Amino acid sequence: MKERKAMNRALVSTEVSTKPAPWADDAKVLADVAEISRQQLAPAAYRIDHEGYYPLDIMAKLGQAGAYAAHQDRYGCRYPLALATMTEISRHCGSTGFMSWAHDVCGLYMEQSGNPALLARLDDHVAGITFGGTGLSNPMKALTGIEKMALKAKKVAGGYRVSGTLPWVSHIATGQYCGAIAAVEKGDGSPSHEIMFLLDLDERVTLRACPEFSGMEGTSTWAIPLVDYFVSEDQMIADPAGPFVQRIRGAFVLLQVGIAAGVIQGSIDSIREVEPVLGHVNQYLHDRPDELQAEYDDILARAMTLAETPFDGSKDYLLDVLDLRTQGAELSLKASTSALLHQGARGYLMSSAPQRRIREAQFVAIVTPAIKHLRWEMAKLMNEELPA
Amino acid sequence: MSAQQLKQDSPWRQYICLACGLIYDEELGDPDSGLPPGTRFEDIPDDWQCPLCGVTKVDFELFEKPAILACDKGTVFNRQPGVVIVGAGLAGWSVAEQLRQQDAEIPITLISACNGDIYHKPELSIALSRGFEQSELVRESGVDAAQRLGVRLLPNTLAVGLSPALHQLRTTRGSFHYTKLVLAQGSKPALPAELPAAVCWRVNTLSAWSGLQRALAKGSSRVAVVGAGMVGCELAEDLARAGHQVTLIDRDNTPLSALLPEAAATRLSSGLAKLGVKFLGGQAIRAVEPRADGSRAIVLASGLSIEFDQIVAATGLVTDNRLARQAKLDFNRGVVVDADTLRTSEPAIYALGDCISLDGKPCRFIEPIKHQARAIADAVLELDSEAYAHNAPVIRLKTRSVAIVLHGLPSPDGHWRMVQEDADGLIMEQVSGEQVISRLNLGSPNQSCAA
Ligand SMILES: Cc1cc2nc3c(=O)[nH]c(=O)nc-3n(C[C@H](O)[C@H](O)[C@H](O)COP(=O)(O)OP(=O)(O)OC[C@H]3O[C@@H](n4cnc5c(N)ncnc54)[C@H](O)[C@@H]3O)c2cc1C
Ligand SMILES: Cc1cc2nc3c(=O)[nH]c(=O)nc-3n(C[C@H](O)[C@H](O)[C@H](O)COP(=O)(O)OP(=O)(O)OC[C@H]3O[C@@H](n4cnc5c(N)ncnc54)[C@H](O)[C@@H]3O)c2cc1C
Repeated sequence: MKERKAMNRALVSTEVSTKPAPWADDAKVLADVAEISRQQLAPAAYRIDHEGYYPLDIMAKLGQAGAYAAHQDRYGCRYPLALATMTEISRHCGSTGFMSWAHDVCGLYMEQSGNPALLARLDDHVAGITFGGTGLSNPMKALTGIEKMALKAKKVAGGYRVSGTLPWVSHIATGQYCGAIAAVEKGDGSPSHEIMFLLDLDERVTLRACPEFSGMEGTSTWAIPLVDYFVSEDQMIADPAGPFVQRIRGAFVLLQVGIAAGVIQGSIDSIREVEPVLGHVNQYLHDRPDELQAEYDDILARAMTLAETPFDGSKDYLLDVLDLRTQGAELSLKASTSALLHQGARGYLMSSAPQRRIREAQFVAIVTPAIKHLRWEMAKLMNEELPA
Repeated sequence: MSAQQLKQDSPWRQYICLACGLIYDEELGDPDSGLPPGTRFEDIPDDWQCPLCGVTKVDFELFEKPAILACDKGTVFNRQPGVVIVGAGLAGWSVAEQLRQQDAEIPITLISACNGDIYHKPELSIALSRGFEQSELVRESGVDAAQRLGVRLLPNTLAVGLSPALHQLRTTRGSFHYTKLVLAQGSKPALPAELPAAVCWRVNTLSAWSGLQRALAKGSSRVAVVGAGMVGCELAEDLARAGHQVTLIDRDNTPLSALLPEAAATRLSSGLAKLGVKFLGGQAIRAVEPRADGSRAIVLASGLSIEFDQIVAATGLVTDNRLARQAKLDFNRGVVVDADTLRTSEPAIYALGDCISLDGKPCRFIEPIKHQARAIADAVLELDSEAYAHNAPVIRLKTRSVAIVLHGLPSPDGHWRMVQEDADGLIMEQVSGEQVISRLNLGSPNQSCAA
């Protein structure tokens, strides 16, 4: 109890101060994030999922508790902790888990850019004072050959001019920002290379509403149409972007496993919750909690090992991460479906977590890299390369 | 054991009346109708009637309790997933054949990176000169073989992850559970960094061979074969016989230096030379440089640069350790297996063929595979059988210019003794202590056949 009070005080005080807390103690960060997720996020999950409530207030508190710091070099490159906090958040609300991932990788881009102008903005980002997401879905697919690059850039004095539309980017709003990549064209229109930059969504950009999604409605997801948007040196993350993306890809995908882990853990929680009253009929179901738990533990153990070396550039490491991410998505689907079957009608209520988690799991399975992209990429990496 | 004893020893059984559900328990009997406790079902008179509904004993059936009644028991009602085999080379298919011969029912799933077509890999190093194309080398399509053997084949599917605790294999087409897993993933070419995959052919699969075959179909070409091991020497001869200008390059001074004493290697070189193969020994490669006209230059450590139309790397084979590493299987230049059972360090996982190592040594030949497959099938089906006994296979080089037959496994730094030598050939032996550990017969085809 005493501890709880101390923490509440800490929260109140960070609300007024803009200085980040030290966040050095892994156990405390995790406990604080878990507490906020349980007490504030879980009750808001319905509003977020259903009424499209964009929970920046809660994300600010999570940021102040250190949820968005652990993976950053300047806070000790603690990927295991970053995964653990993302799991806690996603366990109670997958939408916020996804936005936390987007926020985390945006911070990753800013820090790894080494650009002083972006580094100067990093502390506010990490502390949840300013917010930003990531629009790398299309470029990540484009760079591995699945589709074409949506944004095109032309070199101009002092920077680039970028045009094109990113179809849907989450955790953004006017005044916020996101990481983006554009294909640079030479004077004659032929492709040159790619640039990566922090896209500031200021008065030059009018966000376009997206059609209604079956879930993730509270993730503030918009289309971003750009017409001759000027990208200055201060916004540059990497030029050329290719080697940079190569370097961060493992970490980018690995962090997503936190979303899957939360959805799975939440599903197992829901199954166990009704075991005392429904166990006698639930025994007839597939994918019982112990089976799910065993597979979940396997995933978690591998995730924690991979989290020790997030910048391992080897092909085998990337394959391990892609394999883990795929398994995470598959188990999310299986566990969330099972949770609904275990809970029955009570899980089918619009206000209940199991039906929401099914849609969250589906999102984990289709968000880039989707299961199909992951398998495609793994096959590409593993198949023998032969002369043309 | 007498019938009487059997009767007494076997556990009491229960029989259920199909009409009314009454259970007759042998232990309790039916004293009301004159059957004392302990009356076996067979001993009940035919005119006995069900005490509840009056049907006779023909309407009774052995009753087996449903295994799980309590809700807290973990329910496992999935059918056993059966055997999953990774790799559809000779090793993978041999295990499938052996299993199916002895068990018509057991589910077999064969997962393979290739399309599963069955071919005889040794033919790849003699097929160019015989003018074959890919389709002519296929003995049976994977689809046909799968149908014949009742195997579920997943072609063009790569195994990427393995969690033994879950009995789970993850692939690029989803994850699979197994009761027993057999690794038959073969080995892959070991390419040194200075030979980039995008410009150097390797001949270790039918599809890769076919790529080379098509590239050479345009006509006589300048071809470099890098690496003068068994595969490199055979390919060099095959390419020369197919009409190409072949240069065979090795960092060692003689071809097949790991196996052959100098006297024998010299004869091999001159045999190859007669076919037009130029041997460049003692030459390390610094780099391969693509040229604007599509040709490639090999730059030797000496600085010399030679132009070729095609480069074939035959620089050895390695076993990919990815699955073994993930599953924490013992691995030492190959998946470590028990020499008797071919079992890996995980009880439910077996391995055979090019991907394994026995005593730290891989053995990448055809002959042992059928014996290994047999041992694995017996173990998987829990049949009594003799342990696998590994013997170093006889090595017959398919070079027709100089026939080479090698018995036993020579030690690379052991001493060779000349037994017989004449213009046509030679016989040599390697002795360790009193024992002949290896015997080499090199000469005209006739001579070596007699060996
Ligand atoms: C709620 C929600 C939130 C999202 N938030 C984000 C976000 O924050 N950031 C982000 O980056 N993405 C976001 N996405 C996008 C998401 O990650 C996926 O990329 C998106 O759903 C499309 O993937 P897909 O699997 O449907 O595309 P796929 O089925 O893999 O392929 C369709 C794509 O291929 C392209 N294509 C098809 N044919 C061709 C061709 N012949 N040549 C070239 N291209 C071709 C199409 O343009 C299309 O983009 C979000 C999506 C949703 C639903
Ligand atoms: C040119 C040449 C000539 C030879 N000549 C002789 C000879 O004369 N005499 C002799 O005894 N031996 C010879 N050998 C050796 C012999 O061919 C091999 O020992 C034997 O074919 C090995 O069979 P295998 O099934 O173990 O491996 P492979 O035939 O290599 O089969 C491996 C299988 O595993 C699949 N696979 C690999 N990785 C994965 C994965 N991750 N997921 C799913 N599937 C995967 C592959 O697609 C393939 O189907 C020769 C070899 C070569 C290359």
